[in-house]
Amino acid sequence: MIFEWKNTWKMKSTLTKYIILILTIVLSACTPDSESGLSGQLLFQDQPLAAAQVEIYLKADKDRSVQPFVVATTDAEGRYNISLPEGLYFVIGKKRESTNDNRTRMLMAESPANPHQVAEGMTQVATFNLREMGREGLPMADASTGVSGQITHKGEPVARAFVYIYTETETGLIGPSYGEAVQTDQDGRFTINLPAGQYSLVARKRADGGRSGVLSPGDLNAQYPANPVEVRSGERLHLGDFHLTGVDAEVYARRQAEGVFTKTDTMLHGQVIDADGQPVSKVYVFAYLDSRMVGKPVYMSVPTAADGEFELYLSSGGTYYVGARSAFGGPLEPGEWVGTFDAQPDHSITVVRGAKDDLGQITVREFW
Amino acid sequence: MRLFLCIILAMFWSIPAAALVVDKDTLWTGEQSFSEDVRVLPGVTLTIAPGSVVRFTDARLEIAGQLVANNVEFSGENWDGLILKGSDAATQLSDCIIKGAATGILVQGGAPILERLTLSGNKVGIALRGKAAGRVANCRFIANRKVGLFLKDDSTTAVVDCYFAENSRYGAYLYHARPQAFQGNTFVNNATGLMIAYHGTDPEVNDNRFEKNDIAIQVDRAARPVLRNNLLRDNQTGFHIYRRSDPLLTGNRIEGNVVGLLVAYSSYPEIEGNDFVANQTALKLEFQSSAWEALRGAAARAGETSSRSAFGGQGKRSVSEDDRRARRLDGTVNAKGNWWGDVGTAELVNIGTAGNPSFIHDGRDQATFVDAGEDFPLDKVVHVPWSDVPFTESKP
Repeated sequence: MIFEWKNTWKMKSTLTKYIILILTIVLSACTPDSESGLSGQLLFQDQPLAAAQVEIYLKADKDRSVQPFVVATTDAEGRYNISLPEGLYFVIGKKRESTNDNRTRMLMAESPANPHQVAEGMTQVATFNLREMGREGLPMADASTGVSGQITHKGEPVARAFVYIYTETETGLIGPSYGEAVQTDQDGRFTINLPAGQYSLVARKRADGGRSGVLSPGDLNAQYPANPVEVRSGERLHLGDFHLTGVDAEVYARRQAEGVFTKTDTMLHGQVIDADGQPVSKVYVFAYLDSRMVGKPVYMSVPTAADGEFELYLSSGGTYYVGARSAFGGPLEPGEWVGTFDAQPDHSITVVRGAKDDLGQITVREFW
Repeated sequence: MRLFLCIILAMFWSIPAAALVVDKDTLWTGEQSFSEDVRVLPGVTLTIAPGSVVRFTDARLEIAGQLVANNVEFSGENWDGLILKGSDAATQLSDCIIKGAATGILVQGGAPILERLTLSGNKVGIALRGKAAGRVANCRFIANRKVGLFLKDDSTTAVVDCYFAENSRYGAYLYHARPQAFQGNTFVNNATGLMIAYHGTDPEVNDNRFEKNDIAIQVDRAARPVLRNNLLRDNQTGFHIYRRSDPLLTGNRIEGNVVGLLVAYSSYPEIEGNDFVANQTALKLEFQSSAWEALRGAAARAGETSSRSAFGGQGKRSVSEDDRRARRLDGTVNAKGNWWGDVGTAELVNIGTAGNPSFIHDGRDQATFVDAGEDFPLDKVVHVPWSDVPFTESKP
């Protein structure tokens, strides 16, 4: 009896499953089949970001001279769900908000996985963090707020010197992690528009007139003695004279021996080789936050030595896009070595703060 | 002479030297050896006496001031070379030998005078960048491992009466540079004698001689130079006009080459007033089709124009498709008004204006080529009218 009851129950259960399945198919067939689009979640400092703006563009940054194709707003969980026809889209998250200290800040980031292909159904965009502009990226200029001053050396104004604005100090105010750089005028004067915030300033004048590159004796250099400076909204902070000193040969030699960049506890290392597997010297390794790997990298290594080995120090964890070049600054030129970290198709690696990750070998080729 | 010779190092034998910053006017004589970088500070002049020999090991000589060197040999092991940072005409190197460096002389801006130098066995003989000016004259670039002379970054340095031989990749490479003069130079036995590449590289190259190179002159990637009065003789390929390049070729003597002029991949040069003499093939078209260009040219270049990243492989500067678009796509390459040599002219007279000259390879010899499974018509060369008389004189 029990057996029969069980068997009857099993039959009923099976029948119920079929009915549910058929209903599911019928109901799903009733939903619009044009429901395609993008969904995802925005974060800030790893927390869901509500009421943020999600902008959908049809073109990459270079060509983005038009209004967004679609704009949506994240819900209380930072989530968004945007219906879109099939196509290729670029996703940007933005939020302008006031902080507890009445400071207005702009949060922004592009989806690291841009562009996104939308076909049938909803395409999931990987969750990404927005960054505060002016603190973690390029400052958003505010015409009424900023700093000004004059660069001098031995009492004389220094024309065409570069003044760099750093928003983070972990890497020792060295390298490409600066947010802004301006050149002084013929009288050595400079003016930089900035959003309110705290900044560290460095000024440099290279003998060859360059904006970037390792300083050597004969170049002029100084950190602003009152670093960091606090810039308040609506305030134009006059820094006065900012005195440069010549790069000291002994300091230079010691720095070369110790390593140009400040060593942090988060680091990528590996080896740069050519197509024949031979180590390539004098190649820099760069880390970008932008998946397109355009513009200024956030971190760079010193050039590889004869063994091709490199160490790339980072100030924090995150997802970085890694490439290698024998020159820095400016687009690729004939005669350069160039290559990318290729363990992932998008050249990315996700780093945990405090970790030292081995990237293995990065293969470079000569570009002509 | 207002030179202050504050430190005189009169050495007659080689001794290793430590890291050195030259902060006073200095004279070197005899044999010098350095295993660490030497830097000459701004406002300071380093003079190296004739007959001196200077060697570097894992090091470089960096001049932010001035360097005066006559009849000096610079060499070393794993050494970077001489770096001239913003040096003006007070920096003069003459009759020196620079060998075995990564870059024999790297000029970063300024206007130094470099005369009668021999650059050999370097990876790059001389690189001029950062809007360098000045003059490179009567120099010899021999067997450098990559490039004899590299001009970049809007440099305008005059290059005259130099000799380029057996450089592994390029005798000279012009990249976004427009020399005040590029003439009187001789290129022999280089893989490519002269490379002129990328949109925006539009120099005038006049009165040079190219002999026994694999390629005498290559014009590539939408460059538009003027190539005038050059002699191209006994090369595998004389002119190689490649990838949407539209140079003007006029007054050149193209003689005894396997292929005198090779035009490929949607390039539309203007070819007029040249002499083609005793080449196996005077003019050859290869993968050259107005139909292909109209259908696929822009798309084939789209990847390059849309990328701004060094890691995307694009060359310097953003170039729009309109910059590189072919202005005339009528299925022809214009080569009117050239002289095709005595033999060629006799053939033209014989076959008439509608004939198919044996010394031109074009759509009359090969109707189509295949790209991605599709046939495209090969362009035709317009050679009528031709000149009955030469424009140039035979040279020894």
